[in-house]
Amino acid sequence: MKPSRQKTPAGTRDRLYEECAKDSLVSASLKELYESAGYRRVVTPMLEFFDVFTGAEQTLPAERMFTLTDAQGRLMVLRPDCTVPIARITAGRLSGQPLPLRLYYSQNICRRYPEGKGRRTETHQAGIELIGSGDLAGDCEAMELAAESLARLSDGFRLELCHIGYFKALVEALDTDEETAEQIRLAVETKNYGRLNDLLRAFPDTGAVRALRRLPALFGGPEVLEAAAALFDGGTAGEALARCREVYAFLQDLGLGDAVMLDLGLVGQVEYYTGLVIRGYFDGIGEPVLSGGRYDQLCGTFGEPHPAVGFAVDMELAARAVDAPADERQTVYVRAEGPAAYAAAAACRRDLRAKGIRAVCADGLTEEEWEALPEGGVLITADEKEVRP
Amino acid sequence: MSRPIRIALTKGRLEEKTVAMLESLGYDCSAVRNKGRKLILPIGDGSVECVLAKAADVVTYVENGVCDLGVVGKDTIMEMGGTYYEVLDLGFGRCRFALAGLAGQPFFGGYGTKRIASKYVNVATAYFEKKNMDVDVVKIEGSVELAPVLGLADAIVDIVETGTTLKENGLAVIEDIAQVSARLIVNVASMKLRREPIQALIDACERAVKAGGTV
Repeated sequence: MKPSRQKTPAGTRDRLYEECAKDSLVSASLKELYESAGYRRVVTPMLEFFDVFTGAEQTLPAERMFTLTDAQGRLMVLRPDCTVPIARITAGRLSGQPLPLRLYYSQNICRRYPEGKGRRTETHQAGIELIGSGDLAGDCEAMELAAESLARLSDGFRLELCHIGYFKALVEALDTDEETAEQIRLAVETKNYGRLNDLLRAFPDTGAVRALRRLPALFGGPEVLEAAAALFDGGTAGEALARCREVYAFLQDLGLGDAVMLDLGLVGQVEYYTGLVIRGYFDGIGEPVLSGGRYDQLCGTFGEPHPAVGFAVDMELAARAVDAPADERQTVYVRAEGPAAYAAAAACRRDLRAKGIRAVCADGLTEEEWEALPEGGVLITADEKEVRP
Repeated sequence: MSRPIRIALTKGRLEEKTVAMLESLGYDCSAVRNKGRKLILPIGDGSVECVLAKAADVVTYVENGVCDLGVVGKDTIMEMGGTYYEVLDLGFGRCRFALAGLAGQPFFGGYGTKRIASKYVNVATAYFEKKNMDVDVVKIEGSVELAPVLGLADAIVDIVETGTTLKENGLAVIEDIAQVSARLIVNVASMKLRREPIQALIDACERAVKAGGTV
């Protein structure tokens, strides 16, 4: 037998029993949350055209996508992201619908990673997109749902806020070329102080440069916003900080306290995000469980500009935070003594199931197997029932 | 979360220097110095523990969050990439990446496709991509200097400390690629979830670097 018949590709795996139970639990909890907040579910195809994911504002590199071709030789991808297809729908079948659109999804994405790094290529994401709401109320709505998503799954969570506008204003004030800006961004993102200082040495010592130098350290509580404002509030920086402050205050009013943090150095997908950026973490899990933010430019790349904000929860990471639900259902085995009693046994099982009891078919068992069963059983003969303790 | 802050150290020379630095900061590292066969060792009062690993594994452990911090060479970081914070240049373990070839033989020029031997395939590939040169990179696991001597490759991309090994094999540096030194890296989630103890450790290391006691 070929070895590949016995295993799954790197980064994928079969999920069994408790893993599925946990996934169902987490999915059900988030679906209930999103539906009760007025969000409606959409499912997009697993196969999409490559071009959908390669617009000007999208930063997922081509080497991260699984590609294949259709019958006309056009390049296709396995869905690498859930938000981009939803942006496509808003300009397509949902064009002209009253705004804002409240949409949620729960589906898998596939991304290619180098093998041997323990990265999962196929992951399950659930999340929301609030489309057509560009104001503070929209930001607050999305953040509240993000916080609630995390709180439903774990007591030990942190929600982290950033506003990409602050970083963008700083880079604008530098007035540098694209490549230097990208290197600065990378140094900020990886909190690489040494590299960042080297890069900034070439610039005159302005407020923006001082702010950039400090940017990787600008994370923590609300004092971060004051420190940032003192360093630089030119251009759009002031507005960005003000928005951050308002959303932070809102989350504090909700009683989230220390669970909410700020990190103005969260500058991962700077082309894609246009406002708030968020990450969620769970105690003991080494990568972000939730990520999202405001992306006001994306829908426009499909022909209908709408402000939009949303987030995705990595359901496999989320499932690690919850305990498998306890199985409290009583189990009863029901066995027909012979083919003549099959129908009676099936009817008996149906009655038991209607009462919430798990009724397992034991019709084909031999006498020894039947005796060896761990729990109570019902033996159905042609005309009577015999209940075994 | 109750487990101690866990730091992964690159076994060997970097381990020794890191332990010396931690001791200069007042951490009791006797368990690391007398480690026997144990793989996870307490440091100081037990609020920190360390794991000894090969360089590439340090990156993997930190990236996956099973270790909060790591000490690893920039060479490994450049080769492996990944997502983590690279917060501090520890200043020790200094060396450089260089392109080297047979002494006295010109490397650049001509239209032939050059063949490059390296243990650091990604570093070599990225370097030549930046130069807009189309080369074949061959992965060699040890004693890369052999490859040009045996005629397998036109040049090598490797770590150079003093250049003695190159010289003894009739090779010479053609061009420096990047400076390398030990770095303190931090898991992205740990930095946020356990900020205070981690920041305290980073600050302490930074003081040690500034004091220059570890170089």
